[in-house]
Amino acid sequence: MSRHARDIEELGIPAVATSGINIVSYALGYDRTYNNGMPIRYVAFPFPIAGQPRSVHKAYVNGTDQLTGKPLMTAVIEALTVPLTDKEKMTDTAVTAKPEVEPRFLQPDTEEKLQQLFKDKEWTDFNPIVLPTEERVKKMLAGTSHKPDEVISTIRFMPGNREVTVEKVAIAAVMAGAKPEYMPLLLAVATRAPFGNSTSSMANTIIVNGPVRKEIGMNSGTNAMGPYNDANSVVGRFFMLISRTAGDYKNNVNAWESLGNNMQYNSMTIAENEEMLPKDWEPLHVQMGFKPTDSVVTIGTGWTYISSLGEVQPAYPAPMLIRDYMRSLSALGSGATIFVDPTVAGLLKDVNGYQTKQDFSKWLSGNVEKTVASYWGNGVIMTSNNAMALQGLEPYAGWSKLRKESPDSLIKPFNNPQAINVVVVGGAIQTTWFVTDFRLNKGVLVDDWR
Amino acid sequence: MKSRFLSSSVSAIVTLLFAAYASTSYGADEKITVMNPAIAGKIAPRAPLSPRLDTLEGKTIYMVDNQWGGPEGAYQLLEEMQAWFTANMPSVKVIVRRTKDNMFGDDPALWKEISEKGDAAIIGTGQ
Repeated sequence: MSRHARDIEELGIPAVATSGINIVSYALGYDRTYNNGMPIRYVAFPFPIAGQPRSVHKAYVNGTDQLTGKPLMTAVIEALTVPLTDKEKMTDTAVTAKPEVEPRFLQPDTEEKLQQLFKDKEWTDFNPIVLPTEERVKKMLAGTSHKPDEVISTIRFMPGNREVTVEKVAIAAVMAGAKPEYMPLLLAVATRAPFGNSTSSMANTIIVNGPVRKEIGMNSGTNAMGPYNDANSVVGRFFMLISRTAGDYKNNVNAWESLGNNMQYNSMTIAENEEMLPKDWEPLHVQMGFKPTDSVVTIGTGWTYISSLGEVQPAYPAPMLIRDYMRSLSALGSGATIFVDPTVAGLLKDVNGYQTKQDFSKWLSGNVEKTVASYWGNGVIMTSNNAMALQGLEPYAGWSKLRKESPDSLIKPFNNPQAINVVVVGGAIQTTWFVTDFRLNKGVLVDDWR
Repeated sequence: MKSRFLSSSVSAIVTLLFAAYASTSYGADEKITVMNPAIAGKIAPRAPLSPRLDTLEGKTIYMVDNQWGGPEGAYQLLEEMQAWFTANMPSVKVIVRRTKDNMFGDDPALWKEISEKGDAAIIGTGQ
C-alpha cells in the first residue's frame, strides 16, 4: 500500500493510502522509518476489512477515520487537498535522519532486572533465557571459524534492513542455551531468519540432514517432534529468539498474526531419520542435490499440520488417507511436506509400491482433489493467485472461470509434484504421519559455517 | 590418616569446582554486564510528497485495490467510497481499478495511466 502510494506520488500525483488501523499504524511507524521513507498520508478504517459484507464497508465509509477521529471522507479529501507541511516537503531536518545505533553491551544490572529487561524488550518467548555475558558469547563463538563481525544476512522484511552478524547469532545462541558445537547449524539456520510473520498465523519447520545430526545428538527417532531432546529443542528455540532479537519482531508493532501460531516456539525442529529410509528413498538434502555426506538444514514456511492420529489401516491404506487429509490444505504454491514414520515409509515402498519419494509425490499431485470453490475460498490463495488469474495465466485463469461457472467442480490444486516433499522421521513405534502445508526453501549447507 | 587427608583434599577440590560453577549464577544485588542482542535498523532515505490539489471538484480520482485480502477485499470498500462521491461530490470522476499483480507486485502501466489521466489516487487494501 505505502509502496504503491509512493510510486504514484513520485509521478507528481497526490495519493492517500487507506487500510485498517493496525496496518496504518505499522505504515506510519516501522514502514515509514525503515522501508518507505516518504511521509505518505493515511486514512484508517476499523478492521477487519476483507470478508466483511457491503453493509459493514458502507458503515466504515460513513464512519470516522480511526487516526484523526474526523468523518472518514473528510479525512480522505483533506489528505489530498491540505497543503504540505515543511516536514512533508522534506525541507526540515528529517531529510538527514540520524542513523540508529545499538550499543554492543547493555547497561550493567542485576540478573533479575536483566531477565525482566529482555522480556520488556520482547527479545524472548517470555521463558527465562541464559544471559549473554561476554564470556559466554566468546565461548559460543569458538564453535565456528567465522569472525564475529561477519555479516551473514540482512533482514529486510519487515524489520528494516538489519544486518545479522556472527556475534549476534552467538548472543541468541547463548540465550537459547546452545552449546558451541551447535554454532555451524545455528548460523545456517540464522541465514533464514526471521520466522514467518503475516496477519495470517504462520509457522516454520526446520529439517536437518547429514552428519551434523549425529554430531550434536539430534533426535530423528521416537518423540523427535516432542520436548525430549536438547538439540532439537534448543535449535528450534534459537530460531524463535534470533527472529525476536535480530528480526525485532514486536507484538502489534510489526507482528500481528491474528491468532499467532504455537509452532513458532520450536518450529517443528527435527532431524530426518536417514538410517531408516527405505532402499532408494533419498534423504531430503540429497533430493535437493547435496551429497549424502553434506550437513544441510532446510527451513519450510507454512501454517498447518494435520495428524493421522492412529495407525494405518490395511483396508484404507496410508496414501488414501494422506490424500484425503491433504484436501484440507490450501495448496499454496502446490506446497506440502508429509512427515512419515519409518514404518509408514516402509509400507509406502513395499506395500503401496512407491519406489521413491518422488513417485509418491507424483501420485499425490495427481490424486488430491478439492472443489474449486474451496480452493478460492482461502484468503491467502485469493490474495496470491487471483492476480495471475486476472492476467490469464493458467491454471489459475481456468480455475477462476470454473469457480464462477461450476463451483463444485473438482480440481487438482497440488499441480507441482516437486513442491510436495516427504520426510521420514520417528521411532517406528506406530504407523502414523502428519500432513503439513510447509513449502520448503532450498537447503543451507551447514558445513559452510563450521 | 593418609586416607583422611585424601578425602579432605577431594572435598576441597569439589568445593572449589562448585564455587567456580556457581560463579555463573549471580547474587541478587550483583550487577553484571551482558551483550545486546538487538540490531540497529537502517533508516530509509527520505522523500517528499507531491503538492496537493486546491480542490477535488471536477477532478479525476483513481481508486486502486492492490488485492490484499482478495479481489473482494478492498474493491467493495472502494465502491462504497465511489458511491459517497457520487452522492456528495458528483463533479468528481472516480475510476476504480485493481492492480495487475498481487499486493507484492507493481503495476507501472497503471501508475503511468494515473499520472496521465488522473489528478489524485486512493490506494486501498483489504487488510
